[in-house]
Amino acid sequence: MSGFRKSMVAMLAPSLGLIAIFILVPIALTVWLAFTKWSAQTPFSTATFIGLDNFREIFGTGSVGRDFKGALANTALYSLMSIALILPLSVLFGMLIHQADLRGANILRTILFATYMVPMIAVALVFSKLYSPSEGPINQILGWVGIGPLPWLSSPDTALVSVVLLNVWQQVGYFTILIIAGLTQIPQSIYEAAKMDGARGPALFGFITLPLLKRTLLFSAVIALINAVQVFEPVALVTQGGPVGSTNVMTYHIRRVGIERAQGGLGSAMSVTLLLALVVTVTAVFALARREDRR
Amino acid sequence: MTIRPLMGLFLGSALAAFSSVAWAEDVTVSFLTHWPPETVAKLEAAAATYAKDHPGVKVEVRAVPFGDLLTTLRSQAGQSGGPTITGIYDLWLPELARDKLVNAAPEANATDVTTNWPKGVATAASVGGTVYGYPNEIDVYALNYNKKLFEEAGIQEAPKTWDEFYAAAEKLTNKDKGQQGFGMINSWAAGVVHPFASLLASNGGALVVDGKPQLDSDNAKATFELYEKLIQSGASVATMGTADANTTGPFLDNFVSGKTGMIIMANWWESALKAGMGDRFADIATAPIPVGPKGDGPHSISYSWMTVVSDGASDAEKKAAWDFLAWFNGPTSGENGASAMGDLLQSMGILPSRTSDVAAFSERLKTPFLAGYVSALSEARPFPTVLGGQEFTESLQGHIEAVQFGKETAAEAAAGAQADAAAILEKAAQ
Repeated sequence: MSGFRKSMVAMLAPSLGLIAIFILVPIALTVWLAFTKWSAQTPFSTATFIGLDNFREIFGTGSVGRDFKGALANTALYSLMSIALILPLSVLFGMLIHQADLRGANILRTILFATYMVPMIAVALVFSKLYSPSEGPINQILGWVGIGPLPWLSSPDTALVSVVLLNVWQQVGYFTILIIAGLTQIPQSIYEAAKMDGARGPALFGFITLPLLKRTLLFSAVIALINAVQVFEPVALVTQGGPVGSTNVMTYHIRRVGIERAQGGLGSAMSVTLLLALVVTVTAVFALARREDRR
Repeated sequence: MTIRPLMGLFLGSALAAFSSVAWAEDVTVSFLTHWPPETVAKLEAAAATYAKDHPGVKVEVRAVPFGDLLTTLRSQAGQSGGPTITGIYDLWLPELARDKLVNAAPEANATDVTTNWPKGVATAASVGGTVYGYPNEIDVYALNYNKKLFEEAGIQEAPKTWDEFYAAAEKLTNKDKGQQGFGMINSWAAGVVHPFASLLASNGGALVVDGKPQLDSDNAKATFELYEKLIQSGASVATMGTADANTTGPFLDNFVSGKTGMIIMANWWESALKAGMGDRFADIATAPIPVGPKGDGPHSISYSWMTVVSDGASDAEKKAAWDFLAWFNGPTSGENGASAMGDLLQSMGILPSRTSDVAAFSERLKTPFLAGYVSALSEARPFPTVLGGQEFTESLQGHIEAVQFGKETAAEAAAGAQADAAAILEKAAQ
């Protein structure tokens, strides 16, 4: 090995070693546990290999499989709704704030970003009161214009959407800042040239802004997806996965199975499945984007 | 006189002083609970009293929401900084004992428990004949109703049978006022299952018999049908029954604000009701669980709580923890022959289980609200404490909620709950 290579390995070893210890080893351990029967309260040495039994059970027709598939579907729905609301809203707010001649743009930017800085635990507790069907201010306000009362978190038909709205309220400011950063990368000269060719508002947005914002939007979508899949606090604090399991998302369900019921093998199988689902989805999004680029 | 004796005296004094300081911080026992802040303050006061006579032991209290209690115990027990003592629900004990998370009580403490608590309560704190903790509260369910709403609806007395119960629920319902006759809980496993199990027991049925679920028995089917009937008639509104991780939320709000006529709830709710209602708490009365057509009388289910010691704690911590628990639950730590634990439980309206505490609080237990619960104790049916009990409860919760929200019929819920419960209990027993 050349001196250069030796020094390169020596310099990379500490950081790669830490990554291996704190990231790769736990992932490998989780994958191994997914193929075992193991009570999470006992040493790893008590885990017994059972092949694919855990995976058969979580995709089976029994209560374990039904609850897991329900949680997976809820997580997918939650993620889709979150992304579908966060991205357009952040582009809208980003465009508004990015306008150089808008008065108070900095104040608006600060207010929007402030929601992201409020801890989710506080947001969840406040929203649980805001959503109160009988005494909550949201229903009272809607009542003034003849709407409602809506059940919000109290009905399986609306509970997940209510948690999504809470998430959107908190996250949209962060994504707005990302969009603004993307907008500043678009040269003004392109807009000026298009205007000279007669392009106006919607055309400028559709043919210049959106295409040139694609990479930022792609990055935002992936981050929003990862954030959405990791939703936990509002469910744990406010809905406990209910009513009728309608807000039982994957992280909460894995915690319930793996820790509360101490079924470590099953919980690990669920975690591995979630990880695979996330990897496949993100890879598909990037592959789609690359294909679009080639066109 | 040489300097050597003085040096010796100095060193000896310094060592004594040092050892006294070291002893003062010798053992720290952490006590994990889900009790509310005002109760935690009382527990801290009791710990401070104990520390006066035990300078080597410091008892620290940690409180988490009820929904996080089991998870915190399971994820932290035995680890550095994990809880030494934890207040647990008896349903959790079999699995905690199986996983060796809880310490078997030393002989003196075990004898204390078997001697000074009723046999059934001491048994609930044991697995395979081994005592694992000090029982403290015992909880039963009763019908709570709003006397003012009863008066407005022209109902003379609390319903005794399911027919009277259903009729009362219908009379109490006033859709224009957003008022429901009977409140059903959702999103809280025990809160959903315990009232259902009490109605089932009052209809001659049981959740589990000899380790086998009985959720498709005629008695259970009739209980699911009662829920279905109440929902379909509008006498119960499912969306008014949501609870959060602290067991509060719209379910509590609707009862304290007079929008729910009747609920089936446990005695420990007294403090929550008093806090929410203030003077209007006088409007609330207690009555036995209405009896179903197949029942022989009102039967609440009962469950108990206990304090256990982590098996992963050091020997010194375990010794200190058991010593503290013996004192805390003993007749000298409270007032007038009651235990400090008994005092604390009574402050929340909870029934103590130690025989001497029941005697010490006999007058207090005669209040109109609590007397109804005390009378339910003798005919109560213990909630089944079996391996897989928590998963069983959550599965049944899902089916009861499905009936509440019209996602399953009563027949589908009974069949589904039975199939799921059989699989869960069979797997857990393996």
